[in-house]
Amino acid sequence: MKMQVTINPRLRFHLSPLVWILLALMGIAFVVAMIRYIYGIGAISNLSYSYPWGFWISFDLFTGVAIGSGAFVMAAIVYIFELKEFQPLLRPSVLTGFLGYIMVVIALLVDLGHPERIWYMMIHMNDTSVLLEIGICVMSYLTVLAIEFSPVFFEGIKRKKVAHFIHKFIMPFVILGVVLSTLHQSSLGSLLLIQPAKLYPLWWTPILPVLFFISAIAIGLAMIIFESAVSSRYFHRGLEIHLLEKLAGAIPIVLAIYLIVRFTELTVSNDLQYLFNMDRNHVLMTTLFWAEILLGSIIPLIFFSFKKIRQSPNGILGSAIILLFGMILDRFDVSWFAVRHPDPLTYIPSLMQFNAHYIPSLPELSISVGIFSFGILAFGLAAKYLPLFEDEDGQHAASD
Amino acid sequence: MTDIQNIKHKTFLFDATRCIDCRACMIACSVENNIPMDKTRIWVAGVGLMGEYPNLGRASMVYHCMHCEEPDCLSACPVGAYSKREDGPVLYNKNVCIGCRYCMNACPFGVPHFDYNRGLIDGAFIDKCTMCPQRIDVGLAPACVATCPTDALMFGERDDLLQAAHARIAAHPDRYINHVYGETENGGTSYLILSHVPFDQLGLPNLSSTPVKNVSETVMGITIPFALSWAAVLTGVTIGVHQFNKRKEQIAAEEARAKSEETK
Repeated sequence: MKMQVTINPRLRFHLSPLVWILLALMGIAFVVAMIRYIYGIGAISNLSYSYPWGFWISFDLFTGVAIGSGAFVMAAIVYIFELKEFQPLLRPSVLTGFLGYIMVVIALLVDLGHPERIWYMMIHMNDTSVLLEIGICVMSYLTVLAIEFSPVFFEGIKRKKVAHFIHKFIMPFVILGVVLSTLHQSSLGSLLLIQPAKLYPLWWTPILPVLFFISAIAIGLAMIIFESAVSSRYFHRGLEIHLLEKLAGAIPIVLAIYLIVRFTELTVSNDLQYLFNMDRNHVLMTTLFWAEILLGSIIPLIFFSFKKIRQSPNGILGSAIILLFGMILDRFDVSWFAVRHPDPLTYIPSLMQFNAHYIPSLPELSISVGIFSFGILAFGLAAKYLPLFEDEDGQHAASD
Repeated sequence: MTDIQNIKHKTFLFDATRCIDCRACMIACSVENNIPMDKTRIWVAGVGLMGEYPNLGRASMVYHCMHCEEPDCLSACPVGAYSKREDGPVLYNKNVCIGCRYCMNACPFGVPHFDYNRGLIDGAFIDKCTMCPQRIDVGLAPACVATCPTDALMFGERDDLLQAAHARIAAHPDRYINHVYGETENGGTSYLILSHVPFDQLGLPNLSSTPVKNVSETVMGITIPFALSWAAVLTGVTIGVHQFNKRKEQIAAEEARAKSEETK
C-alpha cells in the first residue's frame, strides 16, 4: 500500500481523461482572459457600476484565501505546538495553501483593471487601506509558503542537502507565515468594514475581522480533513483516520467560540430584530443567515462532537463538506449576497431592496473554473512527482 | 461675493425644488471635461411621477461626487490614487490606479465609476467629478453650475451656502424637508442638498455623521502593533513548547537511566 505512494513517473498521467478535461477548461479560461485584456472586463463579465466586485472576488479571493487556511493551521500545529504526530498532514495542506494563493493571484490578474501595475502596492502605499494590507500580506505569504514547500521540491529532485539546509531555518518563516495569515484572513473581513451602509446588519459588525479569523481556523481544519479524505480515495493511499479524528475533535470547540462571539455581538449591537425578519424585503437575508449558521456552524458542531462520526471515513468527510459549504456561503454572503449598492445611474427605489441585478456571466465563471482546474492539475502533478504524502514513520520527513 | 479661486471651502448647493430635469449640466460637464458621449460624470436621478391627480409632482436630483470632507475612497485606495484638496475637491490620479475598484465599494454614494469597456492597451480607469479644477482655479464656477438655467445648482463658500440653505428652509418650511443633506452626512460633504421629497427617494443613502471609513481606519491603526505583539507571543509559545518538550524528554531519559541503574 505504502509503496504506491512513492510516485512512479510512468503512470501515464497525461493520458487520463480527467487531465484532458482540466486542460481544456484551462484553455477556455485562457482565451476568455485574452478577450478581457483586449476588449475590457465588460466584454466577459456582468460586473457593473453597482457591482464592481462579483463572482471573482467572492469565489477566487474570499473562498480561495479561506480554503488556503489549512496551511497556517497545520504549520502552527506541527511546528509551533510541536505536535509532531500530525506531520503526515503538513505537506498536502501547505501545498493546498500555496496553490490556493497562486490561484488568488492569477484571478486578481484578470480582475484588476491594471494587472501590470499590481506591484504599485509596494511603492505607493496608503496605510489606511485594508486592501493594501491584504495585498502585501498575500504577496509575502506566497513567498513564505514557497519557502515552506521548497524542501519537498528539493527532495523530489533529489537534492536532500538543500532540503535539509532550508529545513534548518524554517522556524522564523513558520512564525512569519502564521502572523501574515492571521492578518490577511482577518483583513478579508475588514474589507467590508468600510461598507456599514451597504452590508446587511446581520453581517456588518466591527468585529468582522475576528469572526473571519475564527472561521478561517475551522475552515482550515475542515479543509485538511477534506483533502486527506479525497486524496486517500483518489490516490489509493491509506487514510490517517486516527489523526483526522483527533484534528476533528478541535472543530466543535472552534465553532462554539465562533457562535458565541457572533451571537453575543448581534445581541450587543442590537441586531437581534433581524434574526427572524420574514418581511418580504428581508426574508432572503434571513434565510441566507440561517443557512450559513446551520450548515457552517451548528450542524458540523453537532456531527463533529460524536466520536463515532469522527471515526467513520464517510462521516468525517461528509461533516467537513457541510462545514465548508456553510462557511463558503458565509464568504459569499459577506462579499456579495448581503451587499446592497446604491446605483445613481439606474436608480429605481423598488429595486434597492433586492440584489437581483448581478448574475455572473458564463465567461466570468469560466475564468474561475479554469483557474480551479489549474489548481487541481498542479496538485495532482505534485502528488505524482513529489514526496507529498509522507509515511507516518517520517520516511520522507526532512527533519533530522 | 469673493472671487471663486479665493473661496476657502468650495461647495455646491443643490435645490431639488428648482431642478427642472433639463440635464444641461450633464452636457456642460461632458463638453468641459471631454467625456465621450456614452459616458457621464453626472446622473440625474429621480422618482418620476409622484402623487395623485390633480396633485402631481416629480423630483429629480443632479448626482455627482459629493466631495466628502473625509473621503472614503481616499481611505480605501491601496495605492493612494485619491487626494483631497484643502479647498474642497476630491481628485483621482489615474497614473497610479491599479483598477481594483475598492473605491467603488467604499463610496457610500456609489460615485466612482470604472470603464469596463476598455482593454489593457486603451487603459481602463475610474472616472468621477473633479469639481472642474481647471475652471475654479481661474475664477470660474464648475461647468454644471455655470450652465444651470434655474440656479438649482449654486457654488460658493460652504458656510455661506449652509446659511442660505437654512434661510430657504426657514422662509418656506412647508416646501422643504427640514434638513440640509450633506451638512453632517458622512462627516460632512462639499455638496449640500435641499429637497421637498425624502432624501432616500432621490437615491441618497441614509448615513450617520461618522464617516463610513472610521471603523476600518481604527482597525488598520492597530494592525502593526497587533502584528508585532502576535509575532512576539508566537515566538514565546514556540520557545516555551520546545523547552517544555526538551525538559520532558530529559526527565524521561534520566528516569530511564535511573531505572536501568536500579536494575543493575
